[in-house]
Amino acid sequence: MASDSTARRPILALAPRLRGRVVTVLGGILLALVAFWLIENLVREPKQFVLVFLAGITNGSIYALVALGYTLVYGILELINFAHGDVFTWGAMATYTVAVSWIGLDGSQSGLFTFLSLLVALIGAAVFCAALNMTIERVAYRRLRNAPRLAPLITAIGMSFVLQNLIGVIFGFDYKSSNSLLPTGAIFHVGNQAYGWDKLIVLLITVPVLLGLVWLIKATRWGKAMRATAQDRDAARLMGIDVDRAISFAFGLGGALAGIGGFVYFAYFTQARFDLGFRLGLFAFTAAVLGGIGNMAGAALGGYMIGFIENFNSGLDWHTPGPDWTESIVFILLILILVFRPQGLLGEALSTRA
Amino acid sequence: MSDDLLLSARHVRKEFGGLVAVQDVDFEVPRGSITALIGPNGAGKTTFFNMLTGAYKPTSGEIVFDGHEIAGLPQHQITALGIGRTFQNIRLFGTMTSLENTLVGMHCRMHSGVFRSIVRSRLQRREEAEAREKAQALLDYCGLPKRAEDEYARNLAYGDQRRLEVARALATEPKLLLLDEPTAGMNPQETLAFTEFVRKVRDERDLTVLLIEHDMRVVLGVSERVTVLDHGEKIAEGGPTEVTANERVREAYLGTRATG
Amino acid sequence: MRQRLLARIPSRPAMVGLIALFVLYPWFYHHVLPQSSQWVPNTSTAFVIIAFTVMGVGLNVVVGYAGLLDLGYVAFYAGGAYAAGWFASQQFGGGLHSPRSWIFGGTVPKGTLGIHLTPWSVILIAAIFAALLGVVIGLPTLRLRGDYLAIVTLGFGEIIPQFVRNGDHVAGFNLTNGSFGLNGIDGLGFGNSVHSALPFLPSNFVEQVDSTWYYWTACVLLLIAIGTSLLLRDSRLGRAWIAIREDEDAAAAMGIPLMQMKTLAYLIGAFFGGAAGALITLQAGATSPQAFSLQVSIFVLCMVILGGMGNVWGVALGGVVLAYVNYQGLFAAGHTFNSVVGTNIDISEYSYLIYGAAIVTFMLFRPEGLLPSARRRHELHEEEELDELIEAQPA
Repeated sequence: MASDSTARRPILALAPRLRGRVVTVLGGILLALVAFWLIENLVREPKQFVLVFLAGITNGSIYALVALGYTLVYGILELINFAHGDVFTWGAMATYTVAVSWIGLDGSQSGLFTFLSLLVALIGAAVFCAALNMTIERVAYRRLRNAPRLAPLITAIGMSFVLQNLIGVIFGFDYKSSNSLLPTGAIFHVGNQAYGWDKLIVLLITVPVLLGLVWLIKATRWGKAMRATAQDRDAARLMGIDVDRAISFAFGLGGALAGIGGFVYFAYFTQARFDLGFRLGLFAFTAAVLGGIGNMAGAALGGYMIGFIENFNSGLDWHTPGPDWTESIVFILLILILVFRPQGLLGEALSTRA
Repeated sequence: MSDDLLLSARHVRKEFGGLVAVQDVDFEVPRGSITALIGPNGAGKTTFFNMLTGAYKPTSGEIVFDGHEIAGLPQHQITALGIGRTFQNIRLFGTMTSLENTLVGMHCRMHSGVFRSIVRSRLQRREEAEAREKAQALLDYCGLPKRAEDEYARNLAYGDQRRLEVARALATEPKLLLLDEPTAGMNPQETLAFTEFVRKVRDERDLTVLLIEHDMRVVLGVSERVTVLDHGEKIAEGGPTEVTANERVREAYLGTRATG
Repeated sequence: MRQRLLARIPSRPAMVGLIALFVLYPWFYHHVLPQSSQWVPNTSTAFVIIAFTVMGVGLNVVVGYAGLLDLGYVAFYAGGAYAAGWFASQQFGGGLHSPRSWIFGGTVPKGTLGIHLTPWSVILIAAIFAALLGVVIGLPTLRLRGDYLAIVTLGFGEIIPQFVRNGDHVAGFNLTNGSFGLNGIDGLGFGNSVHSALPFLPSNFVEQVDSTWYYWTACVLLLIAIGTSLLLRDSRLGRAWIAIREDEDAAAAMGIPLMQMKTLAYLIGAFFGGAAGALITLQAGATSPQAFSLQVSIFVLCMVILGGMGNVWGVALGGVVLAYVNYQGLFAAGHTFNSVVGTNIDISEYSYLIYGAAIVTFMLFRPEGLLPSARRRHELHEEEELDELIEAQPA
């Protein structure tokens, strides 16, 4: 009769349990080191730290917008829309087209005129990108919904290349830039550097959009249909929800967010290039995963965290790897999350595997 | 009842976030028996199976199989130790033929590595030939028609697909064969034939069988022991007639107090 | 009729004929084809075409057999290229104060600085190095699910070139010479005659090595890659890979060790990527980080798609076609278009747009690739055939 004491215990059975504890300890040490580094920098150059922190919020807002788009689509289709970063770039290009090419903003017009033009550009970018994203879904992904998982993924990559290079062919492969579009006057000073109005405007656009998104998802019929489809597609269908429409809606919403993100990017940085979406898309995706893919609050949180990481790395001085290494750091972070905590910070524990 | 237990699970528990799918279940399978695991939908039967095969890791508890502690081991190791299974929703490898599907089951019983496979060493060629013979024999044994051998698995008739799943599981040379709702979708004649087949497999291949079943004819017809789960808990255990007469079991299935 | 013809192509006589055609290409080029035509690739270009096709066949094992979407295949190309540079150039010559020179059968004059092994052995070493790189990259990434695996390999495909660019001061070593890349890499020695070339190590150095010899080396490598793929496909390992591609969890339940098998697929794919990378580098005599970008990974992936994932001959053919388009055909088409229509378009700007569109189009409409077996095509278009049948029914 086999009893516990005589049961042969394979060595490997120990490994998973021990591993969990080792990981937690190592993670804790890593976080402690990072915290120490931050505090050192804060103490040495507090003004610089504050400025960098504020810059992090600005960049973080853009990442948050794009990350939300990723998470919306992933939540409903379990598909990483590789082309999402390029939809964002199209948003920036659309902004350029409307604001600079068509309307001709160059900083010399009156404040009201600039404001209204930018509003038109914002709406234009959002609508265009929503339509673009929905078209991509309709044309490229819908057919492959029941295909093996590899198929829509590969198609998404192909789509990403198409979008990116289409920009290159239409707009050229160089930077498209403009004069300042947002007012850059200082609101307050930290040390001898200014925190300008343009930074605040980024927040003033992003925060209402995020709040509006929350309302849209929680309170409207469309939002509920989307959430239901994301949870259980078959059950949603049985409840009478038009699943195709719900998915289109998610793509449209994600596209609009990317478009708004693109608008904010161009308005703030006043330049964009065809391959912008690649790097930024990867950052935003890392943000979505960091926060917990499929989780909206997580995407926003992740976005701001990546914004901080990027800016701390380039702005702080004490023992900082430097901007050359930002991409590598973000990628390493992505790998670490996916291997050790795939549910991200706010997601639910996914893995039930041995 | 034999004292030699092939499988012994103690205090096995599985939680998914806040949901407790399996609560503190003790479960034993005597060597050479045919045991049925029954219970209403959502009782936790497939979850329990998945813990036995290593697809899920138990939240707590121990599972001892043939003298090995297997809770938490990776799936392929558990299969190598001797647990084979079929799936509730047929999960064959659709773009491979019946023969190839069965050969896949033999993976852990074959040894040729990269070099031997590339240079086609004598050992490798012999191993392949023997494996193919065994696979063909298994397909015959399980009742698959000859023409199905080279047919893509996804093109087979439903009944043949079920048979192929069993053949594939048998190819792993298991000591314990887990069958998850094997007669789902079968008509009464097919079900009867399958019941006979289960007994034949156990007798001729020196196996132990554990099946999840909904069809009472199969449960009463072939199983020697029955365990009943409801809402993740074991609520009854014993011989088939005694269990099906049990009031609590009837309540679980029918949802009302049995009268008279 | 067409269906029968296509289904017949993987037949022995046709195969041998096709291979002979390719092997004899240099002869065709020198004696038959119009060398001045912009549509005809010279032997050097043909060499590059075949070398990249090797990569396609390598990636096919990873994506087509095991179903692992690797978007960072360029990392193995880079690994092989730089390994070739390390062991067959003056890179580790040590400089003026401590000159070092290790020559083991290398094709250079005595006393040349640096490590110089026989370039033939260097190809093998580079391939093994790339394979090890594959194991290292695979360790954290192969346990991830499909889409995450893709993104993470994408990340690695980006980090490696970054590392290469910043690799001129790693712990005091100038490993990669930064953005300048490695130069002065030795070429393969082929000897003055077959007799003198045969003892492979050491080999005689021939001053003006005709591209033809490099071309044939590439052909041999391609045949090895194809042969290895076919032999493995029809074995226990190949079946395990296809099972993993179809249904990973069922495969594990059938006793297939997932991590081991996935790593093996990765390793083999990396091996051929590295070998091809080394070969290309030895012929060019130099390498630099500019050569290694995401575009290359996607380009190689496109070959696999065009070939119908998993179909080795298809991928080989698709690879040759795509590489031809990229290195010769596209430019010829562009020039022709410009001269006919009178425009001045730089067609190379459109190349990745075309490849991306090709990927999308093939995935949507012809996932079985350019050269499917009739059976596979039937499998994938079942639904459409059924629809046609239904429509054909009398009302």
